[in-house]
Amino acid sequence: MSYTLDCLNQPGVLLLAIGNDGRQDDGLGWAFAREAEQMPFPGEIHYRYQLQVEDAALIAGATAVLFVDASRERLASGFSLKPCHPESSFSFTTHSVAPSAVLAVSRELYGACPPAFLLGIKGAEWELQRGLSSTARKYLDKALQWYRGQVLKLNDA
Amino acid sequence: MKQKITIDPVTRVEGHGKVTVHLDEEGHVSDARFHIVEFRGFERFIQGHPYWEVPGLVQRLCGICPVSHHLAAAKAVDQLHGLDPGDLSPTANKLRRLLHYGQIFQSHALHFFYLASPDLLFGADAPAAQRNVVAVARANKDLAKRGILMRQFGQEIIKAIAGKRIHGIAAVPGGNYKTFTAQERDRFLGAADLPSIDQMVEWTLGVVDFIKQYHESNREWLDTFAAYPSGHLGLVGENGALELYDGLLRAIGPAGERTLDDVSPYGYDDYFGEDVVDWSYLKFPYLRHLGKDTGWNRVGPLARINICDHISTPLAESARQAFFEFAGQKPVQRTMYYHWARLIEMLHCAELVRDLLHDPEILSDDLVREGRRRPEGIGVVEAPRGTLIHHYRADERGQVTWCNLIVSTTHNNEAMNRAVREVARETLDSQPEITEPMLNHIETAIRAYDPCLSCATHAIGHMPLRVTLFDHRGQVIQERLKDELHT
Repeated sequence: MSYTLDCLNQPGVLLLAIGNDGRQDDGLGWAFAREAEQMPFPGEIHYRYQLQVEDAALIAGATAVLFVDASRERLASGFSLKPCHPESSFSFTTHSVAPSAVLAVSRELYGACPPAFLLGIKGAEWELQRGLSSTARKYLDKALQWYRGQVLKLNDA
Repeated sequence: MKQKITIDPVTRVEGHGKVTVHLDEEGHVSDARFHIVEFRGFERFIQGHPYWEVPGLVQRLCGICPVSHHLAAAKAVDQLHGLDPGDLSPTANKLRRLLHYGQIFQSHALHFFYLASPDLLFGADAPAAQRNVVAVARANKDLAKRGILMRQFGQEIIKAIAGKRIHGIAAVPGGNYKTFTAQERDRFLGAADLPSIDQMVEWTLGVVDFIKQYHESNREWLDTFAAYPSGHLGLVGENGALELYDGLLRAIGPAGERTLDDVSPYGYDDYFGEDVVDWSYLKFPYLRHLGKDTGWNRVGPLARINICDHISTPLAESARQAFFEFAGQKPVQRTMYYHWARLIEMLHCAELVRDLLHDPEILSDDLVREGRRRPEGIGVVEAPRGTLIHHYRADERGQVTWCNLIVSTTHNNEAMNRAVREVARETLDSQPEITEPMLNHIETAIRAYDPCLSCATHAIGHMPLRVTLFDHRGQVIQERLKDELHT
């Protein structure tokens, strides 16, 4: 099933920012969310170190979900938006849960699987240190500009 | 030349953990090792920061148990501030304990319902598609929903005391930051949006009964899987009671003899050495007087239940007695009994939370005390996964000059290596190829210890289980990513 970006600009949308701002660019998701808080965002914003199974209950009550996280992938434009579908994939004995897996739990337990997207923003530095690298800051700005224009439809973007 | 099998959960960040299994020329397992990253980076990072910032900064170490690091650091920082645990106000100590018990309750709930239950409900031989929380949700919706509610309850306790779930401020030097209001307390006694603490106690009793019945039905597997003798280490409280927040260090040997006899945790570096090996970032702690070969200990729920003489809350004490009556040995040396011990602790925490919620002293505004600054502080708590030690030195300006952390997973390093070795010999020895159930068995053994592999940065990406088999010339002859097996 495919959805348009309009679902991310409707009341009830959930932004789940994942990361750790004590690890440099791993804080990209949170940095994005802090900027989104200053915009006319129509839903709720939550911060997570890692997604957990109980986030399935939160997701079940949302009209749409935008997961935002740092990425180590090669992204030509510095960020990428991908549709996120429920999937039972789990990592080796870790405590974190993938966005697709949380969606699957939400569907199984609560019968709800709202449209969801994963916004990945490319990071470069991952040491124990506060603050984004200049590279990450540049990609964050690009992602925010896209978000303001393409999702929130703000004229100044 | 030996062959080597690597089970490597690769992330986009270096480190985390992997398993290597070493085969000799005949294909027999000669050794097996569990590798995991640790926090040395943090120990350097914290230097130069004012000591009063430390309890907040350490929460960034780990997304799973930030509260444990926060409280261990806070106890150390209290000493830098000139205060021992007994010098804090009763309200501050009780609020910290409430926070700690809420954290352990939710952490144990997460482990049991979402990490251990697939192993227990479906077995280690079940296909990958069935060995995850989605399959648990599908097979037992009520159990899965209850698990979420129990975890949420603990998370809400943390949020109420610290102000928010992540990066909240609970402890400050000499006490606590904010009062706990009657309105906040009443929510946990019964509210429309949250099951009550009485409900938590009842549900936890239910899962303790479940695990006992599970052991009765699966005794042979649970009694023999990754079972081996070891020492056990943890804190004990007054009269040898199970203690999670502040107490004395006790260790016992494989036969139950005392190897560390209720000593002050402030002298930990007199008692413990740390061995270094060339194949792991993680050190191997051991009791100096016993040496590195026999002085290592298990920590965490099983160790704590083994070393204590009793539990102060009645339902958990009754469960403890049933545990040893069933096991027929003390100390219990069977890895899979960690799950049962974890649930007994969860019950204990639920009872303690209930008691504290009914204690009017938690509502007082007597939160912070002042002392005369000291150059050194040591904080020790029992984190969900075991004994956690934070040790700091600060200069006259209050800047941290030195730091040493011994985290729970480090204490369990040798124990997890032994468990992996036992299972590898049992399942991989002389087999023509590595099968998924073989890997599941190794995972199951590691998972019983609930090691924290998630403490570093994570970002988007998978943590696949990479399996590489090398021939005697060092050439790769088989490689599988377990991620490919997911549905």
